[in-house]
Amino acid sequence: MLGINKKTNTGSVNVEKQETLLTLSILTLAAILSFATRLFSVLRFESVIHEFDPYFNYRTTKYLAEQGFYSFHNWFDDRAWYPLGRIIGGTIYPGLMVTSAVIYHTCWLLNITIDIRNVCVFLAPLFSSFTTIITYLLTKELRNAGAGLVAAAMVAIVPGYISRSVAGSYDNEGIAIFCMLLTYYTWIKAVKSGTIFWGTLAALAYFYMVSSWGGYVFLINLIPLHVLTLMITGRFSHRIYVAYSTLYCVGTILSMQISFVGFQPIQSSEHMLALGVFGLCQILAFVDYLRSKLSSQDFDTLFSALLYTFGTILAIGVGVLTLSGKISPWTGRFYSLLDPSYAKNHIPIIASVSEHQPTSWSSFYFDLQILVFLFPAGLYFCFTQLTDANIFLILYGVTSIYFAGVMVRLMLVLAPVMCILSGIAVSHLLTKFLKHSETKHTHEHKKSKKLESSVVLKNEITATYVGITCLLLISYTFHCTWVTSEAYSSPSIVLSARSHDGGRIIFDDFREAYYWLKMNTPEDAKVMSWWDYGYQITAMANRTILVDNNTWNNTHISRVGQAMASTEEKAYEIMKELDVNYVLVIFGGLTGYSSDDINKFLWMVRIGGSTEKGAHIKEWDYYSPSGEFRIDKEGSPTLLNCLMYKMCYYRFGQVYTEGGKPPGYDRVRSAEIGNKDFELDVLEEAYTTEHWLVRIYKVKDLPNRGV
Amino acid sequence: MLRLLPVLVIISYAACAIPINSNIVNKNVDRIIDLNSQLVKVTASITLENTGKDPVSNVLIFMEPDAQGSLAFISAQDALKEDLKLEPIKVDGLKDAYEVKLRQPLNQGRTAGINVEYVYTNALQPYPNSISQKDRQLVRYFGNHYFYSPYKTVKQTTTIMLNSRDIENYTKLKPVSQQDTTITYGPYNNIEGLTVDQLVVHYENNAPFLTVTRIERLIEISHWGNIAVQENTEIYHSGAKLKGPFSRYDYQRDSSSSHHSIKAYHTVLPAAAHSIYYRDSNGNISTSQVRSRKDWIELELRPRFPLFGGWKSSYTLGYSVPSYQYLFKTNNNQYVLKMRLLDHVFDDMHVNELETSIVLPVGVKNIQLKTPYEVQRLDDEITYKYLDNLGRIIIKLRKENLVEQHIQDLEITYDWQSVLLLHEPILLSLALYALFVFVIIYVRLDFSIHKPEHSKTQ
Repeated sequence: MLGINKKTNTGSVNVEKQETLLTLSILTLAAILSFATRLFSVLRFESVIHEFDPYFNYRTTKYLAEQGFYSFHNWFDDRAWYPLGRIIGGTIYPGLMVTSAVIYHTCWLLNITIDIRNVCVFLAPLFSSFTTIITYLLTKELRNAGAGLVAAAMVAIVPGYISRSVAGSYDNEGIAIFCMLLTYYTWIKAVKSGTIFWGTLAALAYFYMVSSWGGYVFLINLIPLHVLTLMITGRFSHRIYVAYSTLYCVGTILSMQISFVGFQPIQSSEHMLALGVFGLCQILAFVDYLRSKLSSQDFDTLFSALLYTFGTILAIGVGVLTLSGKISPWTGRFYSLLDPSYAKNHIPIIASVSEHQPTSWSSFYFDLQILVFLFPAGLYFCFTQLTDANIFLILYGVTSIYFAGVMVRLMLVLAPVMCILSGIAVSHLLTKFLKHSETKHTHEHKKSKKLESSVVLKNEITATYVGITCLLLISYTFHCTWVTSEAYSSPSIVLSARSHDGGRIIFDDFREAYYWLKMNTPEDAKVMSWWDYGYQITAMANRTILVDNNTWNNTHISRVGQAMASTEEKAYEIMKELDVNYVLVIFGGLTGYSSDDINKFLWMVRIGGSTEKGAHIKEWDYYSPSGEFRIDKEGSPTLLNCLMYKMCYYRFGQVYTEGGKPPGYDRVRSAEIGNKDFELDVLEEAYTTEHWLVRIYKVKDLPNRGV
Repeated sequence: MLRLLPVLVIISYAACAIPINSNIVNKNVDRIIDLNSQLVKVTASITLENTGKDPVSNVLIFMEPDAQGSLAFISAQDALKEDLKLEPIKVDGLKDAYEVKLRQPLNQGRTAGINVEYVYTNALQPYPNSISQKDRQLVRYFGNHYFYSPYKTVKQTTTIMLNSRDIENYTKLKPVSQQDTTITYGPYNNIEGLTVDQLVVHYENNAPFLTVTRIERLIEISHWGNIAVQENTEIYHSGAKLKGPFSRYDYQRDSSSSHHSIKAYHTVLPAAAHSIYYRDSNGNISTSQVRSRKDWIELELRPRFPLFGGWKSSYTLGYSVPSYQYLFKTNNNQYVLKMRLLDHVFDDMHVNELETSIVLPVGVKNIQLKTPYEVQRLDDEITYKYLDNLGRIIIKLRKENLVEQHIQDLEITYDWQSVLLLHEPILLSLALYALFVFVIIYVRLDFSIHKPEHSKTQ
């Protein structure tokens, strides 16, 4: 007997060990894969920071790593928003920079002498590895380990997340998704266990999330929503009470330590749901307590009296605070979440950013592929097995799919939940079918012959089903890799194209221009450009700029827009008023680079005309009589004589760009330019890059008197 | 001012306090002044004669006191092309003066030939000093019609070599002739010592006027078999400044090869160089080409933008070479490193400031340094590289105003135990071992004091 017992024991231990080994190896592979698949751009180009915002983050990280936290916290940046400047420490989410600086200093402590740039470049892939692991843990809490593994494998390569976390894409979102899932994981743990320990951990994770991304607002609305739903469905318990009260109190106090967040958690309406639910929690717990102590009649009287009193006080209080401005009105970015047309109608600067546009259906498929179809199935399985945790998952899924539909960039929030739900669906179905095939082998013999034919059929169905699922998953893998490699791995600071003979041409014009600025302009030169390039200029050229991607001052951006949209004389006045020394424009007419300043020009006109000073700039003046935006002879004279047009097309009228086309043929707009022979009066060409992508002009001094 | 004059006269007289042997006569001087590049390279073949009775073993070489630019390099050879020792001496009123020790004393009535070669930097002045993009770059050279020497010169000729036929003007002290791109002055006879008569040549020079304002050369030795070299270079176009706009359109249409702007230049690397990178603070510079020649690697470097007068740029160039070509083991545990103190940047280069740092391996002792010429040695520093807890010594050397002739080897000898090679692997294994032990202990033992209620229920 003893011997047999021993044998079975070791057998089960072995199975457990095998499972651990299997889990560990699958997770490790997924984590490595998620790191490796994000390295396309590093291998194809180099270890370089991508796009626009990452350059700002890189610059601030460098500052933090070199100067220390306190000078970073008190940093007043006079390089940006001339002449206003910007208080960097108080207007950013420092989580990303602090994370990199900590990694950097830890490495140096261990004598691993890594460059801060490489830390920044590889931070996002590193955190997506962590995300893979945390997805496994979260899904395991929500469902089971099998679903967790599938979800982890899926999240490792989901394009919706990769789009924001390839190597070099050094942005807040890179670590924020990890923080978000970590908060969810600790929250679910707290809900399940009902301990202050997990509640505090959730608050800490929430603090990390707040410190790293503005998207924390989604989180601090989702968790109260979860609690509220639990209350309504009658699932409210002491566990939830403990978890939420701890999370809310500790989390709010912690989040207010971030100076950019400040008093928002208790003032702005975006955070009111959390506060309200917190209050409701207290009331509900108190009512429960009273109910247990009083007779039901007394309780009813007390309850109605209290309800009316507090209700009135609350309504009056909120009303007064809103009117007095203590509860800030909802910010534009949040409105545009609820009402997609809000931003377009009211704030051109929000609407001008492509990632704030509503998501198209094709991009859902592009970014998520089969997950789109597995998502409802996952939701269904959640509904069939309703628990406190599953309700959270359902809420997360439904709200995030709404928000992702509103704004392209929020696809990022949706991607993990898509993976989790799809993971649940795939794992559930596979387990179900595979169980059948297993049972067939063990118990089949005892079944009657009558059923045999149907059992055989069952087996085949199982095989077919598993085969189809495998095919789907394989196609998902291929799709993800293809999307990552084709769409999301270009650094956008270096462009590449194929030449006629199949060789690779590299357009490195941006860095060429920025380096020229850095080397050959005075240290204190002010550079005017459209705001898109602000971060890059400060980071790579180290020159003072007027506006940048922070876009916190609409009137200032509008002033730049006005300068670009005005005639030379008018623009000269504005440029002198703003002390501009150099003007930088992006021009793609020679190479066919379509996201250049002429294509963005209508936004400049709109933003320029959106303030009082620019009221004379009207969008319609820039359209041709037939209502089109044209740069050829048909175009409106206002457009053909404005500063932006002249700067882009200065001396372009003599250039032959394509065989069989007249000189001055713009390859982006596919038209011969309308205004060819003109000279610049107040500007002179200072530098134009090799492929004419970036053109820099010097603002001439005022003429001497009497000349 | 006038009252000071006698004082000045006395001082200038005192300048010649160093005894000048009037018995020495330059019997014949052939001087070639090469103005092809941004440098002024002068080669003078002097035939000396001792007209006195006492044998002469030292000869003085003086440079014009008001010479433009600064003397970067000087060497003297005898008729058999063997280097003679040059000793700098201090002479008041002169910037540069040298004493050449002859191999054998020159006896009465005998003659001896010596060749003096020297290079001046910053001696050519762009005139006009700012030009527009289309203009040609004209420079002026200020020199001396006569060979400047403390001794009387019996017969001398001077040949000036230019790189273009476009000569605006030149001083015409007869006899003088111009043929193609050379101007020949002389022969002039019986010129007394220390005579100065200004020579000016104003001509077109489109050679790259590129100055390396600062180069930091870092050599890192690894006894695993690799030597990494990295050069941080700052360059500056020191020719005529660009006036007015830069037009890309005109620049692209102008296909003539001789233009005052600098598009690209060639750097020569050792033949064994590999893993070459060329970048700057913004990342990789994609415009470079590597061509392997038989004995070297030619690297065509194109700065991110063409350089016009007054423009500057900077870049980092790095490569690795196998250590067996440069690092030698002499006897027990003693190693000798022979590497160039300065390497080629471009032809006819001019380096304003050089700082060479040599990172020695961990745990070296007894360091000896031998430099080919006098350099300033800065304080040693200590650096920490990958997994390096002991630190490595950096030897730092600095020198100003260098030219091609300074590309010479430096020698560092040090003692080193080869066991130290295992220092880092052992450290790493220990760290990993400690980690595993920690994990084993953590996983196997239960540290909790009691199990909380809720975890039991799950």
